[in-house]
Amino acid sequence: MNEHREKYELEEKPTPFLNAWYQWRWPAVFVTLAVLAVMVTHSTIEGNWQKLFESPRNVQTFFRESLWPPDWSVLEPQAYPVCEEPKLLEFTCSTAWIGVLETLKIAFIATVFGMFISYPIALLAAENLSPAWISYPARTFLAAFRSLPSILWALLFVIMVGLGPMAGIMAMTIYTVGYLGKLQYEAIEGVAKPQLDASRAMGHGWLERSFGVILPESANNLISQAIFMFEYNFRHGTVIGIVGAGGIGYYINLYLDFLQYDKVFAYVIVIFIVVLILDFVSKVTRSLFKDDMTKKMHPFWTVLLPSSWVQRFDEE
Amino acid sequence: MYLAEHDVVVGQDLSVGYEKHNPLITNINFEFKEGQIIAINGASGIGKTTLLRTLAGLLNPVKGGVSVFGSSTIRRGEVGYIPQRLGLIRHASVYHNVMLGAKAGHTSAWFPFSSICKPVSLQAIESVGLTHKLRTPIRKLSGGQQRRVAVARTLAQKPRLILADEFLAELDEETLIMVMKKVLDYVKQNNAIMVLVEHDLNRARQMADRLFTAEGNKLVEIFNEEDEVHE
Repeated sequence: MNEHREKYELEEKPTPFLNAWYQWRWPAVFVTLAVLAVMVTHSTIEGNWQKLFESPRNVQTFFRESLWPPDWSVLEPQAYPVCEEPKLLEFTCSTAWIGVLETLKIAFIATVFGMFISYPIALLAAENLSPAWISYPARTFLAAFRSLPSILWALLFVIMVGLGPMAGIMAMTIYTVGYLGKLQYEAIEGVAKPQLDASRAMGHGWLERSFGVILPESANNLISQAIFMFEYNFRHGTVIGIVGAGGIGYYINLYLDFLQYDKVFAYVIVIFIVVLILDFVSKVTRSLFKDDMTKKMHPFWTVLLPSSWVQRFDEE
Repeated sequence: MYLAEHDVVVGQDLSVGYEKHNPLITNINFEFKEGQIIAINGASGIGKTTLLRTLAGLLNPVKGGVSVFGSSTIRRGEVGYIPQRLGLIRHASVYHNVMLGAKAGHTSAWFPFSSICKPVSLQAIESVGLTHKLRTPIRKLSGGQQRRVAVARTLAQKPRLILADEFLAELDEETLIMVMKKVLDYVKQNNAIMVLVEHDLNRARQMADRLFTAEGNKLVEIFNEEDEVHE
């Protein structure tokens, strides 16, 4: 009884200490975290802060002497094989075009194959469709595919099948299965209960429920995820080329080895432009498959903004 | 021995709920016969939907047993369930949704294809007056039209037991009478059993042969047409 009264009194009349704690607890937590991070950094870099303060000057020198101006010869046709395209389309014989196209192809094939392979596994992994003894092994299987980054898969496949886009396709497909599979089983688990209840009561089998109920009900999500995955695969496809798995990364690596950073910078700008275009196309396409079709479209230039800023357009 | 003959739905000492130690409805006994329409009325949260889900085989009884046409497990196509939120596939067409019912009722799980499914589905869609919306996705239909699709799905399935959770809500008077008549005719003509949860007591009384009300943890029968006729 006394205990209860004390608690009650405490809640009614907080002490100055408690008052201060309630007011400052979140700033205190953040300050503590920041101090901790600085301390860990200090011990990791062995107190050599000088390096950090010198870095802007280094970047400036590197940019002025090695990167700028970018060498746009990467957009000119290669010396060999001889380009037979008309003058206006000569850029299609350039290494930048060939590299980007190859990376796009790798990303597309990997996304399509990955999608078809991951869907059956995602069905097995979804807890609302399969019992725990099936769903947990299936999840572990997908997690195993995801646990290695695509560049390491690429390295493994380069060893297995040799240099070239085939290794890239296989690496990206494996990674897509792991990543897309997770997104898919989460989408499947998001299917509302009444739909599944009605199907179960009617006596549908597992296959009928998976392809007749779950697939159409989550189709918008699945398509939207596949488009996102394609965009993601393109961005990562530029990296896997560095280990010899084809695509634009191959040329980047080549010029990095020759220390021709101005050419590398030109490739980076090309990739940036393609990613912007892809981001925009993906955004427009995904908006066609949204559940809430009444949501208005954003202007194209919003792809450059963080999504939290874009949401403000909706609120206004 | 399990309880019953092949033409009745029986509950014996049945307790339903989600927690073993805290069932919503306890120790009820009932026997629903072919051709009967049974309405269940009662306050929200008292366990009416839970009882329907137990009859549909979606929940195990907390205690006691249910026998649907002589079996404790539900056989394919035997039960047509219209949940409160209808359970329609929002991105699929009216035809696809009704076909799911037809397939459950007229095919086996191992080979869910039959030439009879298409005419049966089209007939069911026509009977609820939605032929002009055949290819329209469910999400583009009004609440009332969606309810009609759910009814068509059940009619196409031709189940022996229909479980409907407030399936007449949101319908305008004219459509309500039409849908009600379709379902009642189906039950009487096919000697099926229908158990429905209905909040509107007058409507429940008008439709049902037997009326139960959920009070506390019990299900009390407050009206039985058979008894009235005998009296």
